[in-house]
Amino acid sequence: MTRDLSRRGFLAGLGLAAGGLAIGVRGGRAFLIADARAAPGDAALAPNPFVHVAPDGTVTIVCHRSEMGQGVRSTLPALIGEELGADPSRIRVVQAVGDRRYGDQNTDGSTTMRRGHYEELRTAGATARVLLVAAAARRLRVREATLVARDHAVHHAASKRSIGFGALVAAAARLPVPPPGKVTLRPVAELTRLAGDLPLLDAPAHVDGSAVFAADVRLPGMLTAVIARPPVLGGTVATLDDRAARAVPGVRDVLRLPAPSGPPRFQPLGGVAVLADHPWAALRGRAALAITWDHGAHAGWNAAADRAALAAAVAAPGKVVRAVGELDRALAGADRVVRADYHVPYLAHAPMEPPAAVARVDGGRCEVWACTQNPQSGRAEVARALGLDERDVTVHVTLLGGGFGRKSKPDFLAEAALLARAAGAPVRVQWTRDDDLRHGYYHSSCAQHLAAGLDARGKVVGWLHRTAFPSIATTFAPGVTHGGDGELAQGILDLALDVPAVRCEVGAATAHARIGWLRSVHNINHGFAIGSFIDELAAATGRDPRELWLELVGPPRLVTPADAGVASNPNYGESLDRHPVDAGRLRDVIERVTARADWSAARARGRALGLAAHRSFVAYVGVVVSVVHDRSRRGPPVRADEVWITIDAGRVVNRDRVRSQMEGAVIFGLGLALHGEITARDGQIEQASFRDYPLLRLPEAPRAIHVEIVDSDRPPAGVGEPGVPPVAPALCNAVFALTGTRVRALPLARASLPAAPMAMPAPT
Amino acid sequence: MTISLHVNGQAHDLDADPDMPLLWALRDLLGLTGTRYGCGEAHCGACTVHLDGRAVRACVTPLGRAAGRRVLTIEGLSPDGRHPLQAAWVELAVPQCGFCQAGQIMCAAALLAANPRPSDAEIDRSLAGNLCRCGTYTRIRAAVKKAAGTGGGP
Amino acid sequence: MERAARSRPAHLRPGRDRDRVFVRVLGATAALAAAAGACGGGRPPPPPAGPPVLAPAAAGALRSPDDFLAIADPAARSRALFLEISRVLTHPRCVNCHPADDSPRQGDDALRHDPPVARGPDGRGVPGLHCGSCHQDRNLDHARVPGAPDWHLAPATMAWLGVEPAAICLQLKDPARTGGKGLPAIAHHLEHDPLVAWGFAPGADRAAPPGSPAAVAALARAWIETGAHCPPPTATPAGGAP
Repeated sequence: MTRDLSRRGFLAGLGLAAGGLAIGVRGGRAFLIADARAAPGDAALAPNPFVHVAPDGTVTIVCHRSEMGQGVRSTLPALIGEELGADPSRIRVVQAVGDRRYGDQNTDGSTTMRRGHYEELRTAGATARVLLVAAAARRLRVREATLVARDHAVHHAASKRSIGFGALVAAAARLPVPPPGKVTLRPVAELTRLAGDLPLLDAPAHVDGSAVFAADVRLPGMLTAVIARPPVLGGTVATLDDRAARAVPGVRDVLRLPAPSGPPRFQPLGGVAVLADHPWAALRGRAALAITWDHGAHAGWNAAADRAALAAAVAAPGKVVRAVGELDRALAGADRVVRADYHVPYLAHAPMEPPAAVARVDGGRCEVWACTQNPQSGRAEVARALGLDERDVTVHVTLLGGGFGRKSKPDFLAEAALLARAAGAPVRVQWTRDDDLRHGYYHSSCAQHLAAGLDARGKVVGWLHRTAFPSIATTFAPGVTHGGDGELAQGILDLALDVPAVRCEVGAATAHARIGWLRSVHNINHGFAIGSFIDELAAATGRDPRELWLELVGPPRLVTPADAGVASNPNYGESLDRHPVDAGRLRDVIERVTARADWSAARARGRALGLAAHRSFVAYVGVVVSVVHDRSRRGPPVRADEVWITIDAGRVVNRDRVRSQMEGAVIFGLGLALHGEITARDGQIEQASFRDYPLLRLPEAPRAIHVEIVDSDRPPAGVGEPGVPPVAPALCNAVFALTGTRVRALPLARASLPAAPMAMPAPT
Repeated sequence: MTISLHVNGQAHDLDADPDMPLLWALRDLLGLTGTRYGCGEAHCGACTVHLDGRAVRACVTPLGRAAGRRVLTIEGLSPDGRHPLQAAWVELAVPQCGFCQAGQIMCAAALLAANPRPSDAEIDRSLAGNLCRCGTYTRIRAAVKKAAGTGGGP
Repeated sequence: MERAARSRPAHLRPGRDRDRVFVRVLGATAALAAAAGACGGGRPPPPPAGPPVLAPAAAGALRSPDDFLAIADPAARSRALFLEISRVLTHPRCVNCHPADDSPRQGDDALRHDPPVARGPDGRGVPGLHCGSCHQDRNLDHARVPGAPDWHLAPATMAWLGVEPAAICLQLKDPARTGGKGLPAIAHHLEHDPLVAWGFAPGADRAAPPGSPAAVAALARAWIETGAHCPPPTATPAGGAP
């Protein structure tokens, strides 16, 4: 394993040739990483390389983010390579290990292209280009301004001379790096490849089976472990009889994992591991364990009572987090008040690849290979679990078979590390599907109460929104009773609302499971309630939902925290100068998506449209769902047959992957709305299989998903998550338009919808 | 006991439990990791392989059932990764995370072998058992049609 | 695949309810049965005097052909025998694989099969998703997938799901719908088909129909010997429309 933490060591660890030109970026500033001499400044703070040009001309892009389907391994080389002027066929991509010197590696929060990373990554490519051009200018004795870097060479048009990148790197690596502001990025029009669809780098490996996911890693002498974890959070092993398990052929050992202490955080859950030569023996061994559990403090957790407690929390006033005007007076003076209560259940991530990690512990050092969204927190948790210094832990990132937030929690890496040390052999921990569903970090269930006062003309004069959900912070600290600002900013604090009196409140809620973040997080809950309620108000006043959406969002304007009546808007970590709350952009996606869906001709016989829109991760998304009756499968007697989705995410880099993320968000949103529900009984999660936690299947997928990406030169916004929140409300609004039944509690599978009328026309 | 398997044209003698699911034998005894574990209960299709030309779920196929029969995995679908389905999959950039895609392709290959020009409804029926959490379904349909010569793109 | 039956309250278990109601239907005159139907599911009336009343069946058991000898008229006995057989034929373990449409059912509530498999041309699924793609020749406890040799659907012409016993009876006697199978072949199917055997011993926590393959086949032979008469349309062992 790589122990040498010097510059040379790091470059060698990435398989990068000595004598090349390596550029890193940190805090917007580019650095030269010269492998033959000491790095400038504090080595621990020095950046790791993002781009490296070898003497043979090979350009290596270091992908510091995890690939989980969003296409980052295809996007980064195109972005950096275009800025550099590289020939795509001479670019290779290597995957970074977890290391703080890359800056933030947490592939989460739809952040890879935002928070300034877009500019940083381009700066890395541009800095390499500037140095190569400077080296060429000296060689050719011409001014830099007369040179052009493209097609992997620096060209001097007047003299028709060119020098390949490889021949320039030795000289370029001896030049001073220009300070920030002195590296000019190319005009976007010059990044010509980004205008079209970029090839998908990993597609060939996915279609021939050679792609390596976590469970595909093989080490000599490796054992496979499956773990019986406490069925109730905080439970412990009371008695264990492992004789039958040990008698299973192929089982090598049965080991108890340490019980966690304090808040769950990223700690392994404890339990009993069966280690075997292969998964079949480990699974049979686990089935043969006789364990009795002390279930601990959460054994009284039951779904119905939990739901009732959340509903009670929004039936009474909560902590006020947003206030404009005099709401009580507005409601009291209203011509009528419309009220509605909404419920969203707990949800599980259920990536197709269940968590898996391989670990090797050797002489006080640990090396882990895992499908992790966050190799840095993985490194920290493994170090904590083993009592090692982080520097003695290396975390390699495999491909991820889906993440959706689950795999940014590194409990499974620490399990593998603990077992590898205890077993004295490399260990692969394989989570089964029931492990994944029963021991997750669940999306918060949420109850919401909304009320709107309407004047005589049907205009909304007052808006009350109460929400209650177990906070994600409960996973990390004791005593948390309410959702925090970062959670409330997901659709509540940042909602553009042109209503004179607004009050938003948060109620108390208790967690009995590990609460985590799932693709778009609380926006799922808040987007569902807000998107449904606006449709309800339209129905109550006999108005077109689109018209009411635009009226409530209000005229194009930037909504400041003061306008919104909030103390602050965390805004997904972005400044409000760079990413303001822009009512005009929300209007724009509503207008665009309804135009494309031919909203005004919405209703055909047997088919109806629903609309919703939402801002999240500083992107704006509008969705129109068309539903038809369909009783051909188990589940709700409706099907979304066609969906339109429009996203304004500012400048986008990889249009095809943005499109695929929108397609995926629609499927993900439909799946959770139709089927998703995690429930507890006596503290134990009841779902353990795709048979009781169904995902959307191919026959349920729309015939067409029409994606529109708004052309924009605004700063890049999130893409991976923002498509999800408007899908569920748009679907339920369409179901209302089709059937007259308002679904206020997800999933739709639990709703009783009227049967289809006779003689439905076949969907086209 | 010793079980003779023919996988992707190669003969193997495995000393293994005949009840062991074929999935684990492929992945852990033969190192053919393109066949994925997604659920172990025949619910997701990530482990789809062909047994004598028919698609089966390797996670519920006892090794003993495969003895003496021809097993085809994603690694053996084509010598060069250029099966029409593989080519269509790459051209339409179907995969997102990619984890389910080998199973999707193996299932689609069994469909096309039996029905070279399937309708949309036939594609939906045959691939109904293959889950994709990323949501590549519309591209999967398009790619199957492209490989079948019945559709141009998404 | 067959969904593992969840444990259900005792009062909803098919056997118990049906045994009770069966006695009533058998004993009722046509007029009383019609009156009971008109009452719309009220408490069943006490068995009237008149024709002989059969002894209740033991839980999970079928009456034997001898139990029906008390019915003197062979045609009436034949009809009663068929209603007894129909306690098996209308059981979820049987009707789930005898649907009229393209989707097998699962569990005791006739939920559509998930994954959503299709009948296909021969009742064995479609390319890529055959019954045998997942179902083995035996139950797989580790995957909760039920299995028996040649797992497949009955032809749609032999649909029993949602069909009343009288209609099932007529269907069994119609060679056009049974694929030319004579009545003895049907008795043979009940006694020797591995799928029927699986239905009586479905494993896991799945409910089984009353009796056994041999017991239902014996009833079938007695029914055939008494002329294979069909019960009237209103007679169902469950006491109402399914």
